[in-house]
Amino acid sequence: MVQDYLPILLQVIVAIGFAGVALLASVVLGRVGRRNPTKDSAYECGMIAKGEPQPRFSVKFYLVAMLFILFDIELVFMYPWAVAYRDYIATYNAWTIFGSMFGFVFILMVGFVYAIKKGALDWKR
Amino acid sequence: MDSVAWIILFTPLVSALVITLFTQPYRKLSSYLSVAAVGISFLFSLIVFFSPDGSAGFTWIDLGIFQVRIGYLIDGLTRLMLLVVSGVGLLIHIYSIGYMQDDAGRSRYFGALSLFMFSMLGIVLADNFIMMFMSWELVGVSSYLLIGHWFFRSSAADAANKAFLVNRIGDFGFMLGILLVWSATGTVAFTELTHKWSSLALGSTFMTVAPLLVFCGAVGKSAQFPLHVWLPDAMEGPTPVSALIHAATMVAAGVFMLARTFFLFEHSPLALGIILWIGLITSLLAAFMATQQSDIKRVLAYSTLSQLGLMVAAVGLAAPGAGIFHLFTHASFKALLFLGAGSVIHSLHHEQNIWHMGGLQRRMPITFWTFLVGTLALIACPPFSGFWSKDGILAASQGNFPAFCAIALVTFLTAFYMARLFVVAFLGHSRTEHAEHAHESPRVMTVPLILLAIPATIAGLPPIASLFWRVSGHEGSPATAIIVSLVAFVAGVLAGFALYRSRDKDPLNIPLFEYRFYIDQLYDQLVKWTQDLLAGICGFVDRWIIDGGVVRGLSGMTWGTGFALRFLQIGNLQAYAFLFGLGVVVLLYFILFGVP
Amino acid sequence: MSFPPALLELLVLCLGLALLLVESFTEKQDRTLLAYIGMVGLGVIFLILQLLPPGPTGMASYVFDPVAIFFKKFVVLTTIIVLIMSVDYATTIQRFVPGISSQAGLGEFFAIPILTCAGMMWMASAIDFILIFVSLELVTISFYVLVAFMRRNASSLEAGVKYLILSAFSTGFFAYGAAWIFGVTGNTNLVRIQQVLPALGAENYSAILFGALLVLVGLGFKIAAAPFQFWVPDVYQGAPTPITAFLSVGSKAVGFIVLLRVVQAFQSLPPVGDKVVAALIILAAATLIYGNLAALPQTNLKRLLAYSSIGHAGYLLMAVAGISARDSGQAVVIYLAAYLLMTLLSFLILIIVSNYADGDEIVNFNGLSQRSPLLAFGLLVAMMSLAGVPFTAGFLGKFLVFKVAYESQQFVLLALGIITVGCGFYYYLKVVRAMYWQSAASNGATIPVSGLSFATIVLLVLFTFLLGIFPQMATGLLR
Repeated sequence: MVQDYLPILLQVIVAIGFAGVALLASVVLGRVGRRNPTKDSAYECGMIAKGEPQPRFSVKFYLVAMLFILFDIELVFMYPWAVAYRDYIATYNAWTIFGSMFGFVFILMVGFVYAIKKGALDWKR
Repeated sequence: MDSVAWIILFTPLVSALVITLFTQPYRKLSSYLSVAAVGISFLFSLIVFFSPDGSAGFTWIDLGIFQVRIGYLIDGLTRLMLLVVSGVGLLIHIYSIGYMQDDAGRSRYFGALSLFMFSMLGIVLADNFIMMFMSWELVGVSSYLLIGHWFFRSSAADAANKAFLVNRIGDFGFMLGILLVWSATGTVAFTELTHKWSSLALGSTFMTVAPLLVFCGAVGKSAQFPLHVWLPDAMEGPTPVSALIHAATMVAAGVFMLARTFFLFEHSPLALGIILWIGLITSLLAAFMATQQSDIKRVLAYSTLSQLGLMVAAVGLAAPGAGIFHLFTHASFKALLFLGAGSVIHSLHHEQNIWHMGGLQRRMPITFWTFLVGTLALIACPPFSGFWSKDGILAASQGNFPAFCAIALVTFLTAFYMARLFVVAFLGHSRTEHAEHAHESPRVMTVPLILLAIPATIAGLPPIASLFWRVSGHEGSPATAIIVSLVAFVAGVLAGFALYRSRDKDPLNIPLFEYRFYIDQLYDQLVKWTQDLLAGICGFVDRWIIDGGVVRGLSGMTWGTGFALRFLQIGNLQAYAFLFGLGVVVLLYFILFGVP
Repeated sequence: MSFPPALLELLVLCLGLALLLVESFTEKQDRTLLAYIGMVGLGVIFLILQLLPPGPTGMASYVFDPVAIFFKKFVVLTTIIVLIMSVDYATTIQRFVPGISSQAGLGEFFAIPILTCAGMMWMASAIDFILIFVSLELVTISFYVLVAFMRRNASSLEAGVKYLILSAFSTGFFAYGAAWIFGVTGNTNLVRIQQVLPALGAENYSAILFGALLVLVGLGFKIAAAPFQFWVPDVYQGAPTPITAFLSVGSKAVGFIVLLRVVQAFQSLPPVGDKVVAALIILAAATLIYGNLAALPQTNLKRLLAYSSIGHAGYLLMAVAGISARDSGQAVVIYLAAYLLMTLLSFLILIIVSNYADGDEIVNFNGLSQRSPLLAFGLLVAMMSLAGVPFTAGFLGKFLVFKVAYESQQFVLLALGIITVGCGFYYYLKVVRAMYWQSAASNGATIPVSGLSFATIVLLVLFTFLLGIFPQMATGLLR
């Protein structure tokens, strides 16, 4: 029983170890060179950080982001369905299997059409 | 025969429905409808009176093990009560046409009156506890409507509430009693119960508790101590309603119920003893209170209380027959007294204080003489009806000396306060302008007075009483009872005359009686304390834990005070979630570790 | 079988989606037309339900028994009445929803309840934790939208946030509990669980009980049982009134059917089943006390109804706690039928009056009997029925519940129930007193009532009485 949890323990150790080692290494190695203000500033892909800590987004951003997530998650449902499809049609009625996914996509489709008609994706509106 | 009982029962219901639903705007039509309905009930009651015993019914609600039967049971008791209820009811209906002439809510009034008649007749006819209880509750509802008829007077609205709530306390006990009886015997039908109850092999505790719980219903409805407080306040209703509620019907329902279910009580001496003393205490307290009231209707109300106490005491003395006999005579003379008082009040422009009356003898002769008849009957002056029935109760108490003394004292007090009332209100000289310009009431009001004066005079005479009262013959009273009751009567009347002849204000001043032994104040305080406590707890929970001031704040304040509000709002939701989680933990802990 | 019953939910779903599409494609059309289409469509569904006999469905997670049919009819009827209310409420919605056209947002307000209805219908038939969960979410998520619908109204928004967070919280408990039960029994299907349970060893009892209690917590939130009721007053008061009615009738009813099915399933293992019943007793007692006592000081009718809805959940829980009695399920069903009639009646009249008087305080009802006798009478009947006056539907429901409590020997609950009925009389009569015994302050004119609402009020009043006077009709509901 307890042995079953060994892999989890190992994973925990590895996770903590990796994070610890990485932090330690950066501290140890970072001390070596000479310092200047540019070097000490936060690493931001070459952009110099400025402005408010939390920039304000248009509310439309959230709307679009939410819709994106919605339709993105849809794939998460499709994937296992697609994987199991071949096995399932052997035992179950193929049309039921197909129909249920069709229904799912249809409902999403309605939502998509609705979102477009309502101008949810129209950034200028 | 079969349909006759149904006609008696349902005609008032039909009238109530028609009035409420259709004839609301036509006040005259409503009042005639209501009178016609009770008239039909009365006619058919007469038919029933001369027909043999019987019973019939049908199953109305059938829910597996539980069935509600609507059925009637006609025996001597029912016959008598039918006559009393529908007869007095009819006269009061007619009288109401005159009394309520100028009232805008006449349709509402007559609708409620019809509903009241229906429910009252339902109690009388019922052949089982469930039907009786339902009618019992309907009586409560309709009396609530009637007492609160003039709801724009806050005192009337309060009185209606009080009557309703106090009655519910009694009804709660009644319901428990019915449930106990039902669970023990498996039936609620009276005829079946009569056989089953005596053969029950149950502990004496049960045989005492169950009847006493049933008695609770009578305590509430017949206004016995300690639930008597609603009855005097119920005077806030229109005077015909006071007569209807006090004379024949609502308060008598309790006594009738005791007589109907007497088989429950007869096997428990303890229960009977408690009933006896509740009745006597009520009777004595009320008689004392009546001696110091100055409102004419209140004096009569306390006198009713006192007489009801006597009836209940008669049941406690294992003589329900005597109690019902007194109920029967009391119904006529008390209705007469109330209607007489109503006639006086009506012609004095709603003046109810007896010290503002006086000298009505010549100005209202019919009212004066009929009121005199009622008074004589109430104070047990031979040969008026009250003499015979009160004598019966006194005779029944002969074996029990304390009870005998108490009843004799009540007789004395009754004579005293009625003499006081009569002397102050009717004799002497007029004390106010209204009293000076008093005039006789219209005929629609005086005719019922005269009609009621007849039974008040003769109903007690043995040959006539035996015609009505076939349940148990009225045995000749022993001499001691007659002598004691006569002495008490004469002494009371003399004392009353001696003290109150040509007085302009009360020579006696006993605050204890005037303020009704402070029982109402005590109850008010009790209710207030419990209410305050409960309301305090609820208010605290609601305001600080539930509301957090947010909802109230939102409706009360404007957005100007937004910041503090928003702060509270956030804390609030967290508090909710916290309490939710706490609830889960407590529940889990209780069930997983607490419950064995 | 010619008509697969599971198709009904799909039809309702399609109806809702179609309305949404129509809404987005026709901008000029009068939006109330959508509500009428919805009502007619649901009416057709109701007729089909009336004709379909109960029977096997061929699906493991979906049943079509008399109880399921009853609840499906129940929610369809509720939704129709909610739509009728929404039409009356449209003016208030328009005030609080910003948009280009004057009727912006109204279409959704009419269409989303139909989606909720589909979810509730599924719940009525679901006997598998997965299907229960999914349909529960369909119901709950659409309610998130509806509760917070009036975007310019702070209390509606506040209600939405509270409902969202607390509901998500409770759903978590539900899913966690279902997971525990699945972990022990290896099943999510209630029928299968019922079969598997008796064979389990005693070492599993705690785990099963833990799972069952967590499921109970999740459902307790839905049916507003104390101590999971904190959201109710705020959310009910803040939400648009038709939605409040929908929440308090529909959402509660389906919560109870799932509760019944779950509790029933655990009765096959007495050591666990008894403790579940003990938990129900605690919840019922707490709910009865809280709902009825807290209602006493209320002066706002909508909030009063919220507390009263908690109180009624207490009576219903009493019936569920008496699951050992034969008629427990029947009592729940009939109580809910009565509850539907009287609650929807009160809310319908509340909407009409508060629309006109611009407020839902009890004071706004002063002197209603002189202004609009019909409305006053309707509310009088509703209040009497809620209080449990004999010859109304509410009395029958209470009576059956008390009978169940008596038969299953729950005497403490019985006593508590009877005492709280007394409390109920007090606060329901407060409304009656305002209507009949107080004179109106202002706005003495008659309140206009649309024909449809008028007919609905009359029907609801009629059925409240019919159910009270001929209870056989109610028992026939399940046959």
